[in-house]
Amino acid sequence: MMLKHDFLLALRSFRRNPILTALMVSAIAAGIGAAMITITIYHARAGHPIWWKEDRLFAVALDNRGSDHTGEELQRHPEYPPDQLTFRDARALYRSDIPDRAVMMYRTGRVVDSGKPGVRPFGVFARLTTADFFPMFEVPMLYGTGWARVADTTPEPVVVLSKHLNDKLFNGANSVGRTVTLNGRQFRVLGVVDTWMPQPKYYDVTVGSFDVAEDLYIPFGWSTALQLQTWGSISCVTPDAKIGGFESLLTSDCVMLQYWVEISGAAKLRRFKQFVDNYTLDQKQYGRFVRPTNNYIVDIPTWLRLHDVIGDESRIEAVLALLFLAVCILNTVGLMLAKFLGAAPITGLRRALGASRKQIVRQHLTEVIVVAAAGGVIGLALARAGLWAIRVMTFIPGPDDSPDKRALAESLSHMDYRMVALAIAVSLLTGVLAGLYPAWRIGKAPPASFLKAQ
Amino acid sequence: MQAVSKVFRMDVVETHALKSFSLKVEPHEFVAITGPSGSGKTTFLNVAGLLEEFSSGQYLLDGKDVSRLKDDDRSRIRNEKIGFIFQSFNLIPDLNIYDNVEVPLHYRGINAADRRKRVGAALERVGLAQRMKHVPAQLSGGQQQRAAIARALAGDPRVILADEPTGNLDTTMSGQIMDLLEEINGAGTTILMVTHNPDLAMRAHRHIEIVDGQLAASRAGNRAAPVALGHAATVTPIGARQ
Repeated sequence: MMLKHDFLLALRSFRRNPILTALMVSAIAAGIGAAMITITIYHARAGHPIWWKEDRLFAVALDNRGSDHTGEELQRHPEYPPDQLTFRDARALYRSDIPDRAVMMYRTGRVVDSGKPGVRPFGVFARLTTADFFPMFEVPMLYGTGWARVADTTPEPVVVLSKHLNDKLFNGANSVGRTVTLNGRQFRVLGVVDTWMPQPKYYDVTVGSFDVAEDLYIPFGWSTALQLQTWGSISCVTPDAKIGGFESLLTSDCVMLQYWVEISGAAKLRRFKQFVDNYTLDQKQYGRFVRPTNNYIVDIPTWLRLHDVIGDESRIEAVLALLFLAVCILNTVGLMLAKFLGAAPITGLRRALGASRKQIVRQHLTEVIVVAAAGGVIGLALARAGLWAIRVMTFIPGPDDSPDKRALAESLSHMDYRMVALAIAVSLLTGVLAGLYPAWRIGKAPPASFLKAQ
Repeated sequence: MQAVSKVFRMDVVETHALKSFSLKVEPHEFVAITGPSGSGKTTFLNVAGLLEEFSSGQYLLDGKDVSRLKDDDRSRIRNEKIGFIFQSFNLIPDLNIYDNVEVPLHYRGINAADRRKRVGAALERVGLAQRMKHVPAQLSGGQQQRAAIARALAGDPRVILADEPTGNLDTTMSGQIMDLLEEINGAGTTILMVTHNPDLAMRAHRHIEIVDGQLAASRAGNRAAPVALGHAATVTPIGARQ
């Protein structure tokens, strides 16, 4: 009953001071709006797309750099090993049967001929990967499945398509069993991936941490069979390693493959780490791995941190926005104090009529919380408008864009229900923070002092 | 009140607003308080109304010691036992008369139906039932003071403290307000009224004078002593100048 009474008093107070109230609501709305824009972007970048497998999925990185440290002083973390593996090391690790699953892979590209009259062949990004990619990263399948390990070694002419490519080639129909022509060679469709866009794209951060998945998945064996170059990142990490023909890549110290394992249980993980360290120690006899053993087998959060996926900009923006929110709160404290002290004689009268200090504090806090809630709602609308503007500015649609690209832009600026809940919580907290001191101050004053002023 | 002192301290300066002030007011009594400006009348009323704490002494209200109560208890007693009437009416300007009278009842946690009944009765008693939807600015000074009296009455207090209730009113209206206060007192409510008007002071049972924070004089007024008293009010004239 008293809450309703306090709420009605708050509304009455706003009517008495509409300009001051509007100023306070605006200050909170501006603070919440700015904070929610940056926190939303930060939250989207700080996501963990496969958290339920956090204790089982590990990225593998080996430090096969040479003894020359030139240029490392410019790196932020020269102690980190290269983030990809060489062909020979990846293939050596792949022979281990310790992990439950293992994936070596890299991004390449293929030209697709749809065979449709009037449609010119077009290029797509493809992922050359071993079979475990699909179960290990829990890729959702719209039709069919991935391939078995045996298809990697033969290799079998099979592919898995993205939903977008399947829409484009087969108008979204179940294309399992049908063929697609890649660079003139026929491949049989084994499966179609449903909409899938883990963000960050943790399994390959070398070509951008936030990107759409590839449109095509090809068994790893085609790598050597077709001598497929990488369309991703390649880096030669010893002085004598040079990017030459495909054959040289198989033996050089140029890193270009991502390597992931799925391991359940700490004991198994320890065994695998031991295996990897032993492998690199063994390689020393061939003049490789000249630095002290520095192999990383890390979980996804660590992996994303090593690659600074969130980025300094997002962090700085979030901090600045929170500081701005703090300034808005301070402004609101000042405005609120002025408003409360302006109405102090009426408060004194209420005290004389029997309102306790607690009732006065609660009445004034209710007023601030109503202001904060109104500011929060407007701030939320401002944040949505701001995020929409960012989306418009950062995503310029092309004529042949995959819907995934639009979805990516949206997902990176999407305010989900958790963000909305956070905005509400932050605005209410803002209200309490902004109102606590003025409400306490007005509640603490002896009533007679205000009655004299009446 | 027994030997109540109230000292205000401002840096190194001490002001003794009440000096060992003693006064006993009987139930149903109507006491008028006069004194020069700055003599401590308002401080006495604030202390009596539990709006201000005092430095030393003892204060019994309705037989209970209220000298050193917590703020919550003081507020509750203020709400339940004391009604205030101010010189400048002190109505809340953006509330209509009904809502103004209802204010103290909210703080007592009285339910809506009971509040309605009490507010209606109080406004009826002061003759403002027809004007309950008016805001204070739409009423004359006398009507506003009657609304303030209704607000004091709605909580059914044991004592009404009136601080120059006719100070802002012309003679006719002052007379009407005094009539109303007398009627309320006649119905059993104790009244303490500060006034500068000696004629009004004489309409009380007892007229006391405060000078320099002390009880300077106490004499019987023209109003017949209430039946419950049967005699003039008891005063403990510590330091009183007769």
